[in-house]
Amino acid sequence: MKILIATSVTPFVEGGATYIVDSLSQHLQARSHEVEVLRFPVSEKYPELLDQLLAFRLLDLTQHGDRLIAIRTPAHLLKHPHKVVWFIHHYRCAYDLWGTKYQGIPDTPEGVAYRDAIIAADNVGLREAAALFSNSTVVRDRLKKFNGLDAEVLYPPLSDPQRFHSEGTGDYLLYFARITHHKRQWLAVESLRYTDTPVRLVIAGCPDPGEEPYVDDLRRAIEKYGLSRRVTLISEWVHEAEKVDLFARCLGVLYFPFDEDSYGYASLEAHASRKPVLTTTDSGGTVELVVNGRNGFVTPADPELIGHAMDQLYQDQDLARRMGEAGAERVDEIGIHWDRVMARLLA
Amino acid sequence: MKIAVLNNCVPFLRGGAEHLADALAAKLAEYGHQPLLVRVPFRWEPPQKIIDHMLACRLLRLPNVDRAIALKFPAFYVPHPNKVFWLLHQFRQAYDLWGTRFQGLPDTADGRAIRDVIVQADNSYLPEARKIYTNSRVTSDRLKKFNGLDSEVLYPPLLSHSQYLCGEYGDYIFCPGRINATKRQRLLAESMQFCRTPVALLVAGKTETAGDAEAIQALAGRSGMEKRIRFIDRFIAESEKVEWFSQSLGCAYIPYDEDSYGYVTLESYLSRKPVITCTDSGGTDALVKDGVTGHRVAPEPRALAAAMDQLYADKQKARNMGEAGYALVQSLRINWDNVVEKLTR
Repeated sequence: MKILIATSVTPFVEGGATYIVDSLSQHLQARSHEVEVLRFPVSEKYPELLDQLLAFRLLDLTQHGDRLIAIRTPAHLLKHPHKVVWFIHHYRCAYDLWGTKYQGIPDTPEGVAYRDAIIAADNVGLREAAALFSNSTVVRDRLKKFNGLDAEVLYPPLSDPQRFHSEGTGDYLLYFARITHHKRQWLAVESLRYTDTPVRLVIAGCPDPGEEPYVDDLRRAIEKYGLSRRVTLISEWVHEAEKVDLFARCLGVLYFPFDEDSYGYASLEAHASRKPVLTTTDSGGTVELVVNGRNGFVTPADPELIGHAMDQLYQDQDLARRMGEAGAERVDEIGIHWDRVMARLLA
Repeated sequence: MKIAVLNNCVPFLRGGAEHLADALAAKLAEYGHQPLLVRVPFRWEPPQKIIDHMLACRLLRLPNVDRAIALKFPAFYVPHPNKVFWLLHQFRQAYDLWGTRFQGLPDTADGRAIRDVIVQADNSYLPEARKIYTNSRVTSDRLKKFNGLDSEVLYPPLLSHSQYLCGEYGDYIFCPGRINATKRQRLLAESMQFCRTPVALLVAGKTETAGDAEAIQALAGRSGMEKRIRFIDRFIAESEKVEWFSQSLGCAYIPYDEDSYGYVTLESYLSRKPVITCTDSGGTDALVKDGVTGHRVAPEPRALAAAMDQLYADKQKARNMGEAGYALVQSLRINWDNVVEKLTR
């Protein structure tokens, strides 16, 4: 089949969408489909979005490809006789973030009209789709609530899970993510203060642009609490081989983002490495994957409770190993694999 | 610098412009920049679609980008405060092809209106750029003639210049490239019967127009011509092409009215071989200086045969002309250092 994949990008910023598009393209090609990926730069700055939404309506791809798979908003506004949407998030300022401090659109009649126009456009573009999928139940629920649309959850798998492996249970917990405030690496540092065991912590990842002050705060906190010997902070791009190794030798993986839509690739990487995941009840999509006590722990975002869970893994390494194994089963059980993605997107 | 390269795109099709855009992005990265290839779909049938796509390009945005390098219509309309053009060509149906059989747009009130919108948009939006470079003198001349705009020619280099070799000055004239009517390989084959020396011709490339391939095949099959015309009708690998250039006496490249100097010409000079071209070949005259770096002759079999004979009869002169071609490429600064320096200036 000839397949068009269309997505929006913020130039020079890598994110989950980039990863889904690249891995989807690879897996389609591996199954002998001819793939053309179109990445459209989009500015989300108010009030620039409406012009760009119109541009997506005007660009004509209707003569090309047997199917169009639209990934990141507003790519679903492109017209195509066989359009499938794998929706990964709304332009959230106009939806769930409206009325919060992240709204980013002025609360004026113009701002309200702007928001309504975005929602109206989405309603048109999404309803044209032959099939609508979401990457998580959170996004599925928002599509229902705000757009009145039913979507099927289709979890995005890791591109290449086989490259991860386990080398036994180590003495450190790994927090591997972009270093940015809402990922709450600081909560991991705070929690370590409440541990009774000598369990260590490795925080690794690239700081987001402008997050240098946050990295400094983390460093200061580590020093202030006298945890310098127990915490390693790698605030830079980590090479793939090194990353795989960090996962392979850890005791378990921490992932405490605040209210994210999806389970996060770090959780999948943890389970591909046969490691349990520690997450919090307010992290959002992680709770779709992590069942408390089975493939990790889900605790309230409370340093004392998290510290206790950290100790439990350290003290009972057999438990840690069993939970890691259970993680691999859990990933399979909820259908996070490419065969399923292909079957659904190409149905 | 974070640099967006703006090109248009027809999904699942790739031609010269796509390869140039890829090469430019790769070279920008090599020189320490961050490139982003932005490929905007373009559809021109029915003609009203042209206007839709022009408008779409004006409505798109390029956030978080320090510099845009715009190559083709209509993607080059995407606004950016720090944009340079490296114009490969305008929408020629509205310009030099208007009034020819290649016009494409209907000669109706609607068709003329669409042409006028295109010309008007070029007049308005091309001057937004900090600087306009073009790929050839032909493109620059048209821009001056039709839009009154000044530009500077910046010749596109090949992806790799270091792979070309110069071996013996052999007995054959090499003619590589896709076989079609406008490249006129058939005319070269017809010329062979008028040669007075035993010079041979090697035509190599994938067939695009079957009629031409069959005609060349037939000419090669005539008695006495079996050893004089060799026709390799398939896609040619880079390594084969380098080798065939290396062992050739010279190269013949005689397209009809091409905009650019032609990569074949450049490849020949990088292999230090002279080039035969025609007086109606268009942009090749930027590189082929008659009697200095090769021969520019009338598009007639006898004239072409005489040019081939001359190369064969005086190989020392052929060598000198090939060397002069190589020196000309250097003096015109057809290389990526120059291109990247200018486009990021």
